[in-house]
Parts: sequence; C-alpha cells; structure tokens
Amino acid sequence: MHPISSLIREANSIFYNMGFTFAEGPLIESEWYNFDTLNVPKDHPARDMQDTFYIKDEPGYVLRTHTSPVQVRYMEGEVKKGNTPPYRVIVPGKVFRNEATDMTHEAEFYQIEGLVVGGDVTLANLKATLTRFFKELFKNANVEIRFRPSFFPFTEPSVEVDMRIVGDSAPEKLRDKWIEMMGAGMVHPNVLKNAGVDPKKYRGFAFGMGLDRLAMLRWGIDDIRLMHSADLRFINQF
Amino acid sequence: MKISRDWLQTYFEEELPDASVLAEALTFHVFEIESVEGDVLDVKVTPNRGHDCLCHYGIAKELSAILNIPFVPKKHERSVDDMLAKKTDTISVTIDNSLCRRYIAGHLRGVKIGPSPEWLRKRLEAIGQKSINNVVDATNYVMFDIGQPLHAFDAGKLKKQEAYAISIRMARKGESMITLEDKEYAFSDAMMVITDAHADATIGIAGIKGGKTSGVDEKTKDIILEAANFDGISVRRAAQALKLRTDASERFQQVLSSNLAGYGMRAGIEIIQEIAGGELVGFADEYPEPEEERSVSVSIAQVNQTLGTSLSESDITRVFARLGFLYETRDGKISVQAPFERLDIVIPEDLIEEVGRIIGYDKVPSIELSVFPHKPETNKNFYRSERVREDLVSKGYDEVYTSVFADSGRRAVANKVGGEHPYLRESLVLGLEEALKKNIHRKDLLGISEVRIFEIGTIWPTPSRKSGHDGKEEIAVGIASEKEGVSEQLLKDMALTTLQGAGYENLPVSATERYQHFSKYPFIVRDIAMWIPGGTDENEVLNLIRKEAGKLLVREHLFDRFERESRVSLAFRLVFQSFDRTLTDEEANQRMRNIHSVLESKGFEIR
Repeated sequence: MHPISSLIREANSIFYNMGFTFAEGPLIESEWYNFDTLNVPKDHPARDMQDTFYIKDEPGYVLRTHTSPVQVRYMEGEVKKGNTPPYRVIVPGKVFRNEATDMTHEAEFYQIEGLVVGGDVTLANLKATLTRFFKELFKNANVEIRFRPSFFPFTEPSVEVDMRIVGDSAPEKLRDKWIEMMGAGMVHPNVLKNAGVDPKKYRGFAFGMGLDRLAMLRWGIDDIRLMHSADLRFINQF
Repeated sequence: MKISRDWLQTYFEEELPDASVLAEALTFHVFEIESVEGDVLDVKVTPNRGHDCLCHYGIAKELSAILNIPFVPKKHERSVDDMLAKKTDTISVTIDNSLCRRYIAGHLRGVKIGPSPEWLRKRLEAIGQKSINNVVDATNYVMFDIGQPLHAFDAGKLKKQEAYAISIRMARKGESMITLEDKEYAFSDAMMVITDAHADATIGIAGIKGGKTSGVDEKTKDIILEAANFDGISVRRAAQALKLRTDASERFQQVLSSNLAGYGMRAGIEIIQEIAGGELVGFADEYPEPEEERSVSVSIAQVNQTLGTSLSESDITRVFARLGFLYETRDGKISVQAPFERLDIVIPEDLIEEVGRIIGYDKVPSIELSVFPHKPETNKNFYRSERVREDLVSKGYDEVYTSVFADSGRRAVANKVGGEHPYLRESLVLGLEEALKKNIHRKDLLGISEVRIFEIGTIWPTPSRKSGHDGKEEIAVGIASEKEGVSEQLLKDMALTTLQGAGYENLPVSATERYQHFSKYPFIVRDIAMWIPGGTDENEVLNLIRKEAGKLLVREHLFDRFERESRVSLAFRLVFQSFDRTLTDEEANQRMRNIHSVLESKGFEIR
C-alpha cells in the first residue's frame, strides 16, 4: 500500500486509542477558515509565512495551506450540535504550498493535525502525547521530545518539536539525532473564541506535522516527489 | 537578521560567551539561528517579534534575560521628557492622515560629510552593510542598533520660507519620485509620501525610501533628520506594490512603537554630532496621539495550568524582572507592564509564553492526558476509504497517489509557481491512465504479470445532471488495470457493509523497515530456457545463474516449467540493470553467454 496511507492508518490507530476522532475538511478552503479564524489577519506579515495558491475567479478561496482550518470547523460543528469540550481530533490530509518542487519540497503533501481541548489541558500533556505517539510509531523505541520556542498565529505559546530516538533499538540512521518534527503549541484564545468555545473555561493544544517528511525519516525515502509519482518501483516496497 | 557579537557586547560590561553559546541560548529560548559565521549570527526573528527584535538592542535584551547577565542601558535611554526638549520653529511638520502616527524632524546645522570612522564602518560591514558616508551610516547604525529607521534630508535642497515645511500626506495619483538609486517610482493614492510643502515636491516614500533631489551628498551642510512612525499595513502594501522592499520598510511593516522614534532621533543626533559635527537647532515633533502605556495581568494558576508546571510566584516574577518588565503582584495575580517596544505582549498567554521560554521548555514536564470520557466517533469517509483500500489491496491492486493538478478542468489556481498544470482535476481517470502507461513497461522489472492500480483521491467534477455531480469537492475511487481499463466511482456511492465499532482501527500496516533506493536507468530483459535432468536441484540452477549474472541481475523469475519423460524444462526471465549507467545490449549479451556456458558445462541443454 502507499506509505502515506499506511502511516495515516497507523497514526489514526495510535491516536484512536488515546481518544482522538478522525476529522476532515475541504481542500479548497475559504480564507476565513484558512487564515482569519486562525488569528492570521489580512495584511499581516504572518500570511507571508505560507505560499498560498489562490483559486482563480473565486475570490476568498485558496487551496488550504495547512490542516489547521479543520480545528475551527470541527469545534464549530460540535458547538452547533451542543457538544461541549473535551474534544480530541486528528486531521490527516492533503495540504498545498505554492513553491518550486525539489527533493524535499512538494506543492502538494500531507499533514496530520492534532487538537485537544478541555478544561485541564496543558503544554505538559502535549509533550506526553507526542512522546507516546512517536514511541508507538517507532515500535517502542526510546523516544525523547524537546520543545523550542517558535511563533504561529494560532498558538500561544508556540513551540517547535524535535524528536530523538536513543538506544540500540533505534534505526541506525536516526539514532541519537535531534530531528525537527513539527510546530505545535497551546491553542490561541482567539481561535477558541472564533469557534464558539469559551477560552475562559477551556484550553487546548494543537500540533501539525508533515507526513511526507515523517515517512521519509521512517523509511529512509530520499525524494518527496516519489509520493505522488505513482511509480510502482516505489509503492511496491511498502 | 545579521547580529554581530561585537556589537552586542556594547550592551554588556561582562564579556559575552562565544557566538556558538549565544546561538544555543537564542535557539532554546527565543529564535532559530540560520547560521553562525565567525562572530556573526543570522537570527530568524519571528513575525511576532518584528516590533522589537530586528536590532541588536532587542537581541541583547533577550540574551540578558536568557543568560541572566546584567544589561547596561545606553546613554540614549535617558528619560523621554528631556530627550527632545529643544524645540525649534525652523521646521514645520504637518500630518494629514492617521497612517503617520508620529513625525520628528531634527535640525542640525554645519555638519561635515565625510567617510565614517573605522569602528562604524567595521560594525556595518560585519553585518553585510555598505558604508556610504558618516551621516547615512549613522542613520543605518541607529536602525540596526535599536530598530528605528531614520532618514537624513539635505536641508539646503529644500525650499525655505519662514521655515522648512514638511508635509506627510497621501500621494496624488500620477505623482512620482526618483530615489537615491536613480530609479523612478510612480505612486497610487494609497501610498503615503513625505513632501517639501513649499515646493510641493515629494522627497520620500513614507517608511520606504528617500528621494534623490533631497539626498545627502558631500556638499551637504545642514540636515533634517527624520524619525517617524508609519502604519505597518500601509507601508507593507506600498512596498509590495512598488516592489521596493528596504530595511526600513521591513521594520515598519512589522509595526513599531511610536515611542521608539524619540529614542531613534536622540541616538541619531548624538552619533551624527560625534562623527560629523554640527550644531543642533532643535526638534519639531508632531505626535497627535501619544501611545498609551499597556499592562497585562496573569495569575500564577493560569501560568501553571497552561504550562503544566508548578512554578512559584517568585519563579515567575524573576522571569519578568530579567526581561525588564515592571510588575506588581496581588492575591496571586501579577500585573505586568512590558517595555513600550514589546507590542507583542497583549494577552495573558503572551506572558505565559515569556515564562515558558525563559525558564526553558525543558522544565515543562511530560504528563499524560486524562482518559477521554467518550468513544471516538467514526469518520465515514475515512472508514469507507479504508474498507475500499483493504478490498482492493487484497485483490492485488497497488495504491498510487497522483497529482491533483491537471492540464484541464473547471477550476484552477491563479498563481502557480512555474504556471504548469494550474487546473484542478475533474476526475482520477487521466492521472491513472498515465500511471498505468508508465508502469506497464516496467512489469518485468517489477516482476508482475499485470499492472493493477487504484487511487482514492479528491476531485472537483463539473456539475452535470447526467453524472449527478453537483460541482462540489468529492472523494473518488479510481481503478486501472491493463485488462479492465480505467474506471471511477465516487466513494460515497460505493456499496459497503455497515459499520461496526469505528471499524478501522486495527487494519494491517506496512511492515517495511527501510526503503531501497532504485536505479533510474533503463533495464534489459533476457529469457533463458533449458532442459535439466529430473532430480536436479532447481535452486542450484538459479544460484548458478545469479552467480554468473552478478550484481547487474536485479530480478529473475521462473516463468515456465514442465516435465517430459525424465527431464525438466525451466524457463527464467532475467532483468539486468545498473545503478550508475545505461546498460548496453552487449553487456547483457556477455552475461548471457557466460550463463549459457556455465549451464552447458553442467550438462544442461539450453533450448
């Protein structure tokens, strides 16, 4: 099967056991969900952080640049149904960046978003959740997680997450090396507010990780363009 | 932004550690470091800190807080009140719109333009800036030092009546200006300009660039120094529209505090007087609505409930003190006043981030989430795709992903880099046809008898009554094989058994450990058939072939076998390929000849 499909299946299974629901959203997304509700105002330099595909003759619509718009879509949906937090969702799906492609850059690739909202959610929970995810993904390897400060408009505080696999059971190429895995942080109160969730009562964490990159690390794949190559010399190895 | 350790040192009495130590401190407490070259760090300042950290002062303050080294404030940090006390009526400043929040003009007489002193040249050159002359260098120095862009006009080139008249207004349509670099820019009425009101001439593009006709040159004697504050969005739009991004526009578009203009002016005047002489006539300071002091409160409980820590009040206030924040504590609540340039400190979460990053995120423990009280829901689309995927894989189909970008379609993207395939696919069919074609000729290499593939992917079909498409984004399942051709169905239309549990949580995953790089060079196929006596070890035959064929043999399989009387006929298909070159027929033939002779030497009859 396709390595990304396998990875999504595996990630979903790990997160399912931690209480996460699989959620999804459209690939053609409104700027409202892709940017505004995520606390990225118009004309803010932060909009330059992502090279965006705009849809021709459909003003206000883009190819989503991340899976984060599903955070607000999901929470809005739950609020509408009368379901209050706790919420736990993962959103594996395709995202787009308008940039030239090479061995490590693709215009279309996969991300997995995670969102946890509740009355007692902390940054310490994010650390444990990601540690458990990587530990299970790398078959009970000894996994360490490290945070570095960062900035995303939709989280505050924001962190970059590095991972390291230590010990003999680690794949040799990954052993003992810190690898930058994803951006994450505590959900910005404006994002909760925009979704109709009271930030005075609830807090949350969110993370977003590139699945192509994770697959490349996991299996030692050297060219991201293989993912969409439909080349069976590649696919049949998985 | 390039930051020099030498320059940072001016903010500390204590000797700073090595650049590599500074880089590590910044990495784990505030910013990523792109590179360290000698004593110069390339610091990736995040967009939320463009207000205060695109300068050495900002980075020095961070290092003071992170490393807990006392910070020596510079002399220009004297109180704001006496800073611009010397007023002058030789310049009148008028602002006709709210996009310019403050404009200070400083009047200096009798400066002597010349080369910069060595310390200044070295400082600027260390961070990749060219030295121009003492006055221009001084303005750049202040910008890279404390973050306030400055501009010096040659007063002698402005029109003077009773006073010089500087007017900040929106440009008129059709107005244009030639910049210091001799390039002409035409303005729209959404762009703000600095004008010499007496001459009705544009002398600067607000926050972006100065004009040629009023520029400082070697003959300049009197200057008017500008330290202003312009609206970030308006500067950003103008710089984008004019395709003119400058160090000044990069800073203004991040939004600066209007208070910084006062410090910038004072620092600029002092350095210019020091290196180019001149007598200060005075300042005109147009500041219609002075910025208010802001304070933000956070409780100790909020900090700990967000970070998952158990910090005490003093742990937290120590962080604020190190950052130079003023604070008051009362009943577990801390009210904080950040320095004016820290425009990013607005909500309690901003303060929590300060605490987290300064104490270090390594101090945040790892704590498991509580058990989730509900059972996760089943996602219908994912459930259906997983079932379809399992079904097709079990029937021998391989899953491919193809691009959503196509050469035709109803919808398209407007701005694709390179411009190729801008349309969004209406169906999976074309992509699968191409994938089928591409893989068919590799069958021997792949060791398969038929290419059978499928894709589960998003399409944007044209609405039509016939197909039942309503024009919405859909998930489709496409199947392609040599025998059946290509077909497609919407995922939602596929017949499936009903859900049980979530139904998708325990499906098999790939057991592959490592991906094997494959050769991109063409391969060559050769068949060989032979008779062997009954009872011969057939594996041994294959081993002989492998040994003779060597590394170039990438795949072999027995495609025919039958027995007649006491003999067995074997037919193998051999695939040759090199990792580093295109194989010639002769190379394959040579291998085949060797294989033939070895097999014949064993008494086998080649057919």
